[in-house]
Order: sequence, then structure tokens, then C-alpha cells
Amino acid sequence: MAKRPSPYTDAYPEVALAPAERLQFMNRYSVRRADTCISCGMCESLCPYGVHKRVEGHAKILPPDDRRCIGPSCEVNYFFCVANCPTKSLSVRESDNYASMGDARWPVEMIMATWRQAETGKPIPLDDPGNVGRSGGGFDKLYFKLPEAKGRFDPLKIKTAIQLNRRGSGERIEIPIPVYGGGMSFGSISVHTMVARAKAAKMWNTFICTGEGGYPDALIPYQDHVITQIATGLFGVKEQTIQRSRILEFKYAQGAKPGLGGHLLGDKNTPEVARMREAVPYTSLFSPFPFHSVYSVEDHKKHLDWAVAINPKALLSVKVSTPNDVEMVSVGSYYAGAHIVHLDGGYGGTGAAPEIAKKNIAMPIEYAIPKVHRFLINEGIRDQVTLIASGGLRTAMDVAKAIALGADGAVIGTADLVALGCVRCANCESGRGCPRGIATTDPELQAITDSGWGASRIYNMYSSWRLQWCELLHRLGMTDISELRGRFDLLSHGDNPAREVGK
Amino acid sequence: MRYERYHIPIETVPTTAPPVPKFIITRASNCVNCGKCEKACIFGVHKRKEGDPREMADPLSHLCKNCFRCISDCPQRALTMSLGQDYRALGHGIWTPLRVSTIWGEAETGKIPVLGAGYRGMFAGPDFDGVWTDMSEIVRPTRDGIHGRETISTSVDIGRKPLFLAFDTEGALTTELAPVVELSVPMMLDATRLEAAGPDVLMGFALAAKGLDTFLLVPRDRITKELMEAAPSQIVPVLSEGTDVKSLEVDPRTRMVELCVGASWKNWAKAFAKRFPDKVLSLRVQASKGVEETVLEMLDAEVPVAHLEYDEDGREQGRGETRHAKDSLRAVHRAMTAKGVRDEITVIASGGVAAAEHVPKTIVCGADAVSLESALMVALSCRHCSTCRPSSCPASIGAAGPDWVRGRVMNMVGAWRDQMLEMLGAMGIREVRRLRGEVGRAIFYDDIQKEFLSILSGGGEHG
Repeated sequence: MAKRPSPYTDAYPEVALAPAERLQFMNRYSVRRADTCISCGMCESLCPYGVHKRVEGHAKILPPDDRRCIGPSCEVNYFFCVANCPTKSLSVRESDNYASMGDARWPVEMIMATWRQAETGKPIPLDDPGNVGRSGGGFDKLYFKLPEAKGRFDPLKIKTAIQLNRRGSGERIEIPIPVYGGGMSFGSISVHTMVARAKAAKMWNTFICTGEGGYPDALIPYQDHVITQIATGLFGVKEQTIQRSRILEFKYAQGAKPGLGGHLLGDKNTPEVARMREAVPYTSLFSPFPFHSVYSVEDHKKHLDWAVAINPKALLSVKVSTPNDVEMVSVGSYYAGAHIVHLDGGYGGTGAAPEIAKKNIAMPIEYAIPKVHRFLINEGIRDQVTLIASGGLRTAMDVAKAIALGADGAVIGTADLVALGCVRCANCESGRGCPRGIATTDPELQAITDSGWGASRIYNMYSSWRLQWCELLHRLGMTDISELRGRFDLLSHGDNPAREVGK
Repeated sequence: MRYERYHIPIETVPTTAPPVPKFIITRASNCVNCGKCEKACIFGVHKRKEGDPREMADPLSHLCKNCFRCISDCPQRALTMSLGQDYRALGHGIWTPLRVSTIWGEAETGKIPVLGAGYRGMFAGPDFDGVWTDMSEIVRPTRDGIHGRETISTSVDIGRKPLFLAFDTEGALTTELAPVVELSVPMMLDATRLEAAGPDVLMGFALAAKGLDTFLLVPRDRITKELMEAAPSQIVPVLSEGTDVKSLEVDPRTRMVELCVGASWKNWAKAFAKRFPDKVLSLRVQASKGVEETVLEMLDAEVPVAHLEYDEDGREQGRGETRHAKDSLRAVHRAMTAKGVRDEITVIASGGVAAAEHVPKTIVCGADAVSLESALMVALSCRHCSTCRPSSCPASIGAAGPDWVRGRVMNMVGAWRDQMLEMLGAMGIREVRRLRGEVGRAIFYDDIQKEFLSILSGGGEHG
């Protein structure tokens, strides 16, 4: 793995290229060579990208390597193979593979852009199509009113750090980027994937969360960067795991299935997972909803006090979903002692959830953030709370938009997995789990993901994101990401981002 | 009486129709039969040829789940994935390919569709796609979720309910109680507009209605003796307008009769109530502009049930500006609650119910129950083609046997009910009667988007 110094991030660990042969399969365009080809070699001599090749000494040209093709827009070039082929045997069009990947929220452009960022650590332009989805609402219709670019900037002079503890007492924890990793349990993802995330969190001096499946020993070396989640199933929650963490997260609800407990279908509950969760192997585990010890905000206070009694130093994070009265819940959480109020919006990720719950229950995060932000201001406690948003935040720009809507920072889950090569095929829930070896507990499949390589990929993605944030702040004339918080005036809602540029 | 918890038995009922793959895998001629794809695919798309293992067989595309493993592992780059054209052509109108294929899965397994990864669709959409139901966080009254000890009831009462009871000085009840039928699910089966349903299919629906403890609505001229005997108290004869009430004969076991509304329904309803005091009368009216006025008139005439028929896409019928059921039903519900008489009439809504979430969403907008129509056919592997030609039906629905039909329909309703329980559980509501008209526990895109945009245009606030 070649290492090279990064011109952008001297103060941060170097970006190490983390390519993957198996992620190089996608072809944007499809080049077809008909049987009428006479293997004259004209195309090989013309194409500067190496689409057409002949092995020396062979009579026939190889099938086109269309991953290198730049598409029909090449027709303006003198070397356009289709126009120059003497037997008219070549054709170029959009590829079927490309059209088959992705969905409205994670279109193929976004997946490919994230892979590129994870491989190189380089930022993508702020107006790159990989920054937005095609879901026709929310973040996908919000754009920054960006002034024209003005000169170069020094990323080291732009601060993207946020405080996780804004109360008067307790440990001050600052993370250099406004994101940390969301809870993904052992069982929903493999231990290799967990370790990859933890390593990346350590490199960035930020955090990941255990999720509700317990605290595998493999994470202990990274314990300063691992949040212990206390979820309704209480799987693997022990005094040791509570005492080990600098931050404790109470998961009341999850955006992908608000009002329902966690789901781990039987197939993925392998003996290792079952041991960690103290459950019977290969039975489906449906966590209850809600906490059966919490039926009121007073109970909630008692609940937090219990954790404080075990680990008085830890910061407390309360993860709630986005019902109509989300602002009341947030305020209640704060008064019960939470340092971090974590809102998980309806379109968040999951290892398994009923399809009906993903779309139809509770509101998207875009609506919840400004509601809560304004309510906390009116309550006079906005500056004592760290408001964290998650649930459908996919890119650096989504995070920036969430901050402009009033959040302090964000929690990221799915994007980490995409960095590891997830194609968003949505088969994590059953059978052997993820065919790509990320969200699986199958011993053979999980070996596909190497944790060191994975850590580099995730680290690189956040490097790239940080540079995007720096560029955005620079364009907006800011030097600290906290200046962006609650700046609704910088956002416009609409279809056409170009309209807003230069406004 | 022994207490029994209502339960819909499900069993796997495979389809007989050919699969419609969502993704098509094609193998180009430069394949060298190395077999790496066979190892790569964990879903079994790639197999060697039976009888000649030197060659790879044609890919079994219907098993493909879009993971791209075989494509990334193929050393020859010989494999391609494309979107299945047949799949994309499924359904029309509100019947998207996803909705059609989801019902197929529900009808086959009877299970709630559970998948990995977060939501993949559009942010919001028209009609029911612009509605979210609320959930309850921590500060709510005690309830136990769906896996808890308390049951969530899905029963609904069909008929005219008195707003209060009156007693004489002796303490005896003086209120005359109208007949009320309790159904265990707020979903009726409705074949009135399903012309493609033959006798065997109707028989299957009747058996399913019996198994589900709900009604089956069938036009009277399609009710055969066998059908009536199969589920006598489940069948609701639907009478065409102009039926003579004086010469009307109704099987004594029938619990509800439905009349398609014509001009003189008021007298008809009165005469019916006199002749059949023990039967519930439902008036089926095409929901059109101003339907709330019609329902108020029905209330005044003491009609027990109003069945509002929306078109196939769930919109009001007729020309000009029509509302979707979600807005129309809210108007109906509001008009009645304003008069303080909502409970006197039962509102059934039909049309536009194409997915599990549409049932609770219809109810939250103001209906007491829904009737399922096209969804029943889709459960039988119907593709909801834009023109239905029974002679060349790709799913051969005409050949379906009654037992198979019963199994598929019960599976679908079972899966839908379970999904409704998930939503009710998330809301902290313990019975579906309480969901009716609870718009405060729903989030409407139109409203919240407006609020959101007004916050955005309100300018920045530094916290």
C-alpha cells in the first residue's frame, strides 16, 4: 500500500491510498464490438485511455475494457473510436451495470464518489453529482447559496472540530471533525468491520459506537474511541463495558424503525454473536420497545442516574427518533442530564428493519433538526446541549446542511460501510448476510474485509469530507464550522442548484 | 366463552406464475466457464450446466439480489447486470413494480417484509406517500410494543352506534340498539369491482373471509348457492341501484347488505330498516366532490354505514378537481366531528389501497375500515396490467383453485395486519378504533414542508 504525503492534512495522519481490485468493476459506459470487426487495430492505436488492447502476437483484439471509456461525449475528439472504425463495428452507450446500481437515496454516482473518496482521500467538488441523491426532497433539495470561489485556502487554518460536552462539568471532549460513527452492532456487522471503524475513529480522534450487540474484546484496544450503547435489549451491557467508555449512548429509538426494537434475524445470530448477546444461537432477536424500565421522563432521569452511578465520568448521549414532539423529548433528555442529544431521523440505516417502518413512521431528520434547534434556543439551553443529527446523512454536504439547519454535528453509519465497498443491495438482514463481506457474521464472507485496509478507507473518506467542509466554509467566509450552525439563511430549497450560485 | 387471541394462520403458498426478475444477469460469449461466479454468488444465480458440468448454465436471474459480487469477481468481465424490463413494466398508476412485487412476497410467505439497509425510496410523494405516522418516544403512557404482553386489537364495529344510552326510571334500557357487527380486522374483501374474479377465485375469497373473520362484498348476481353456503355470514350482497326493496329477499344468515346508491336512497334505507331490523345496511356511494355533504345526509337519515368508493388510484371520482382519499376522508371526518356525531356512522373506504401502510393511513385520515379490491388480485400473482385480458393472463389467474386463493389472500391480510400492528405499536395505540381520524398522530407532508420552508425563510439564528 503506497503512502504519500498529503498536501492538505499535515496536522492529521497521512492519507494512504486504499484501492481495491474488487471495487474496480463498474463501467459507466458500455463499449460493444460487433462480429464485423476485422481486428485491424485502428481503435487500439487511437484510444488514449486504453479501452482497446491487443495482446502482442494475438490476431484478435481483446474485448473492450469499457471501465476506461469516457463515453459518447468523446465524439468531439479526433480519436473517437466509434467514428473511426472502418467497419463500423463499435458502439458506445450507457452501461446496464451502472443503471442497475443504487437507489433514490444513494444513487450510483454517490456510491462511486464515496468509493473514490475512500480510495484517495481527495475531496470531490462541492457541486459534484455524488453529493446529492435523487429522492426529490430534504437534503436532496437543499443547496447552499454559495458565493463564487475566491482564491486558495489553507485547510489547516479552518477549524472543523466540535465539542461533545457543552455542560459546565465533566470531561471536555473535542473531536476534530463534526462526525462520529453510529451504533452498528456485532451481529449486524462483522467484527472486522467494527475494528476497521474503531481504527479509523482512533486515527481521527473521534468515536464509534458499539450498537446494541455487546462489546467484542477486539475493540478493547480502541476503548477510548468506542461508545458503549445501552439499548432496549441490553445485550452485552455489563458494568465493565459501561465503565470502559468515555461516552455512553442510551438508544431509545432508531430512525429506520422508530417505535420498534432492534431486529437481528436468526440466520445471523451465529454462536459467537449469541454468546456476546447471551442468547440462543440462530434464534431471531427482537429487542423490546421501549425500555421496560422507562415509561416517563422521570424514569428516564433515573435511568441515566443508574449509568452515572456505575461510570460517573462518562458523557451521556441520548439517542431518540423523530416523533411529532421530538423537541419536548430533547428538552426532557437535557434536563435528565444528557450531554448529547442525538436525533436519528426516519430515513436512517439499519441491518434489518420492516420495510413499512423505514418510510412511514416518524419524520425525516431534515424537519426535526430546525424544530429542536429553535426550541432549545427558546428554552435558553441551546449552548449547553450538543445536538447531533443522524438518519439519512450520506455525504459531507449532508452533514454541512444538517449543521446549517441547527445541529452541532452528525453521526454516520451507512457511509462508513459504503467506504468499505457496500453497494447498497439491502441483503444484510438474513441468510449469510452481506455478500460483500461487510455486514455479515458468516466466517467465510467476513474474511473479505481486512480491518487495516478498511480503516484506511474510512479514514480517507473523512479526510476527503473534511476538505470539502473546509472549502465550503472558505467559500462562505467562515473559519470555524460552529459558525455554520443554524444558518438557515445560507440554504435554499429548490431543484436547480445552479440558480443559486453567485447569489 | 373461552378467550381466544385473534390470530391469522399463515403458511407458505408459492406462486404458480413464472418469476419476474428485477435484475437480469447476462453472460457474454467470452465466458471461459471458470466457475468463479458460482463461488461468488451466495444466492445461487450461477450454476454449472446439469448434464454437462464443463459449461456454465444460464444465470437464474430471479435469484439475483443486486450485490455485484459475480460481476466484480469475473476475470473475463463477461457478466452484465441490467434492470428487468418485465419487472419495470409491472402495474400501472399507483401500482408500482415495488408494490406489486411486495404483495407477491407477502401473499407467498405471510410475513412482514424485512430488509437490511435504510430507506431507499423517494423523500415523500403524492397522496399516501406524503403521510408519516407518529411514533411515541419515552414520554407516553404505558404500552408494551408489539412483542409485549398486551395485545393490540384490530377489531372494528360496523353499524350504527348510539352516542349514549337512555334508561327509564326502572333502570331498563330504552335506547333501541341497532345491529352492529364486529370484524376482527379493519379490512374487508371486496369483489364488487373485480370483474376478472371467476367462481373459483370468489370461492377462495369467501373461504379467506371466513378464516379472517371479515366480510366479502360480492354483487348479488354473482353469489351462487355454493358461495353462500361456504361462508354464509361473511358474504355481503351488493345490490345494484334500482333494486326493489319490497321484493328483496335476503338469506337469514346475512349480516350486512350493501346498496349502490341511486336517486331515492332515503326511502329505500327507511324501508330496508323496517323490513330487516337485524341487518346492517351499507350504502355504497361513489366518492366525488362534496362527498362530506352526502355522508351528513346519510347520518340524518340514520344510515348505519357509508361505503365511500374512490377510484383505483384512491382519488374522488368525477370530472374536474378531485381530491385524494386522504384529503377527502379528512373532510368527511371533520364534517362529522364538527357536528359531534362521528360515532353514529361507520365509514368504509375503498380504492387506492395498494400497500400495507395504506390501511392505517386510510384509517388515520378518518375511515373506520377499508375494503381491499385490486390488492386481492395482486395477491394472486396478478400483474395489474393496464388492460386485463383474462384469455392471455401471464399469471393464469383463471386457473387458480379456491384453496390456493384462500391461502394467498390470508397470507397477505395476515402480513398487512402484522404491519399495522407494528405501526400501532410504534404509536403507542392499543386498538385500531383509536387510530380513526387521529390526524394529530400523523405527519402530513404538505403541513410540515410548509412549516419547514417558513423556518428556512425566517433567516439565521445563532444558538
